[in-house]
Amino acid sequence: MANYYDELLKICGFEDGEIKKEKLRIDKTFERLELGPEDMKTAEEWVRQNHDVELAGVRKLLRAWLKELLDMVLAKDEGKKIIYYGFPTIQGPGMAIKAAAPEELYVACPDVVLCHTLGQIFNKLTPVLEAGEENGLPPGHGLCTLQTIRVGGLAKGIIPVPDLVTGSSYYCDMGSKTDELLHEKYGHRAVYVDGSMDSRWGEYPEYLPQRVEFLGGQLNKLFEAVREVVGVEVTSAAWDKAMSISRHLFHSIGQLTQLAMADPMPISSVEVGLALQLSAGSTGKAITEGPEAIDILCQEVKQRIDRGIGVVEKGAPRVIDFAASFSDPSITHMMENAGLAVAATLLSAPPPKSIQPTTYTTPGEIRAEREMQSGIYHSSFGFAQRFVDAVKDLGLDGVIWGYQYNCRPMAEASHLIKEWVAESAGVPVLSLEMDIYDSRSYSAAALRTRVEAFAETLRVRKAVAKV
Amino acid sequence: MEIMHKLASHLKTRLVELNRAKQQGRKIVGYTPGGYLPEELILASGAIPICLIRGGDHSVVELTGAYLCRWIDTFCRAQIGYAVSGDDPYYSIVDLLAIPITDNHIRAISDITDHSTDIEVFPFGVPHMKEESTFSYYLHGITRLKAKLEALTGTEITKPKLREAISLCNRERELFREISLMRKSGPVPISSRDFVALNHASFLADKEVMVEILESLYKELKGRIALPDGHPRILLTGSTLAMGDSRVLDLIDEAGGEVVIEEFAEGIRPYWENVNPDGDLMKALAECYFMQRVPPAWFRPGNERRDFLIKLAKDFNVDGVIWYQLMYRESYKTESYYFPDKLKRDTGLRMLTVESDYDPSEMGPLRTRIETFIETIRGKRHG
Repeated sequence: MANYYDELLKICGFEDGEIKKEKLRIDKTFERLELGPEDMKTAEEWVRQNHDVELAGVRKLLRAWLKELLDMVLAKDEGKKIIYYGFPTIQGPGMAIKAAAPEELYVACPDVVLCHTLGQIFNKLTPVLEAGEENGLPPGHGLCTLQTIRVGGLAKGIIPVPDLVTGSSYYCDMGSKTDELLHEKYGHRAVYVDGSMDSRWGEYPEYLPQRVEFLGGQLNKLFEAVREVVGVEVTSAAWDKAMSISRHLFHSIGQLTQLAMADPMPISSVEVGLALQLSAGSTGKAITEGPEAIDILCQEVKQRIDRGIGVVEKGAPRVIDFAASFSDPSITHMMENAGLAVAATLLSAPPPKSIQPTTYTTPGEIRAEREMQSGIYHSSFGFAQRFVDAVKDLGLDGVIWGYQYNCRPMAEASHLIKEWVAESAGVPVLSLEMDIYDSRSYSAAALRTRVEAFAETLRVRKAVAKV
Repeated sequence: MEIMHKLASHLKTRLVELNRAKQQGRKIVGYTPGGYLPEELILASGAIPICLIRGGDHSVVELTGAYLCRWIDTFCRAQIGYAVSGDDPYYSIVDLLAIPITDNHIRAISDITDHSTDIEVFPFGVPHMKEESTFSYYLHGITRLKAKLEALTGTEITKPKLREAISLCNRERELFREISLMRKSGPVPISSRDFVALNHASFLADKEVMVEILESLYKELKGRIALPDGHPRILLTGSTLAMGDSRVLDLIDEAGGEVVIEEFAEGIRPYWENVNPDGDLMKALAECYFMQRVPPAWFRPGNERRDFLIKLAKDFNVDGVIWYQLMYRESYKTESYYFPDKLKRDTGLRMLTVESDYDPSEMGPLRTRIETFIETIRGKRHG
């Protein structure tokens, strides 16, 4: 007998046998998410409208996200110990923890998973946001909407209560305070990985070694907490294993982002984001299914390049955005429909190469040193400089500085970054106040006029340059 | 009180004195409030410390629209407004602006002042937890500050000079503590407005003059017999209580409430602990300013402060808590959601949360809410 979700799941790359095999899990998950037949119709339309599902690679990516959603919602029922990390996060520790005990643990960033599933696939994130607002993070105060999703997800019983959470206390204050709020409510242990972004404006790429030692020590401390709370030892071998298995994923992502630079741009930035954020939100399906999905997508994108197929017209101005919306693909499509090739995001742009071989020996310090070099966790200036480098390295025509208004590390330098990038990279910069997690106020319609005007500016600029 | 007039008169001429001192070659070191900058280091270097504590003026906040978006704490935006205005007498006079980076709002002051003005900025990090490694990081920060001050002033900060400065600052803290404790129970010999005014003055005044004033006041208050007044006793807490931001204090006063104790991250000098004048003085400074200090809400977790608030509520025998936060300071906003439950559980007290963007149009709603809260406490007392 057919299930009310069969059609949607097939669009998202599931096969009949798989749906049958996973039926009990799917039923249970969708019931908990309050997803019924009407929601499937909405989702089918939303996915067809916003995702390039003619590409098998895209379908497989959507499938990986949906399977991650099932794993997350059912993690407790299936006897897993649960660890959540925050976003943004230093890549590596989550993967290493998962690699230490892949069968026993569920390790992910649950709010990122909900954005990419309830948002990108079902267009039904609003009830979760509203639940978050009713349970501690009210609207109107500029509180992080990603955290609101986490609070709402827990309040609605969608996200299981974890055994341990760890927040990016080295970057923002909000994640840690939300962890505290949730600890007060549910009692789980929170480990704060602290740091201090205390460099002067203009200091990047220089940094004090003490910053590496401090942040590195904090990352090492996280592993001790994992041992205490869930009884799993994160050894150097586990770390190496994580790095080795994630190498394939990052290699594939790197290849995809390279291909996306072709002219005409062969694939929407929405789909590149689907691939990229798997590594930010998940340590399970990202590793087991992500690489294959991305490899298939790369093959398909290559074919499009060979045939000259693009999602925007050839010669369209190429821009870098901070990040594609996590929850609402229509925003990036609006930019592309305005005639802009969103060829890269700050999160997909290649990080700077390591300056020299490291002298640090602990996994935490090695990671911390890398993060100092990469800029984003160094300072707002380091963040700005990453844009400048990306524009120069990738030969881009403009920058969309779509800062997340309720993310204080971005808000504090909202205008400085625009000014610095425009001055140093020599290209126009559009500053857009955005919310990449919640598009209720910052929808595609609300932003369209400014984006269209910017696109026109870039087109004229390109035309003049040709003359 | 005569002594308050003396203080007012000292503050009136303070800028002239500072300008004169600067002309004579002394360095003026400004710093942002928060209680993480050991003034002792500035004093021992021969420079003059001034804490940039003014706020409450919405027109200054409006100046910042060209420099950052609105989603940053109001007090911090005000500081940016003063700094970029180019004509603020305090920001214009400083030779160095030392900024203990406590959270991203304070980081905004550092980044924008550094980028958009000629003021030399010296940021150093304040970690958000109390552990061995965080202590070391803070100690390293103030050690860098010490070197910076020595380079700025050309004066070595020797142990005797530092010990002397510690002794002076300890005396100031002791006096604040003693005066504050006089409000623990029974009639209150000094109003909160005066106590807060003293605190604010201590951020700008000459340290020796300030200690002298506090000594005289302490003696005067000890001999004073305050009459019972029966006003509801209030604990006022929150993120920042700036000099010039007196609306909440005024409204509580007008509604017939009596603030008997204040706890703020910025605007009230931490006075509960003294620096140990023996042994390694830099470590002693870090111990007092970082490890012993009751941390603000941007520490994680914030239990220490919340437990301290409960203790203050009990020790000062209060009837209610007013939580005053400025817009967009997310740490305080988030805590204000779950602290009332703990407060109720541990003390049976109620809490009112009020918020401000220094906007004059907030007065009406603020007044109504504060009056209602005080009235409810009165009703409960009599009921």
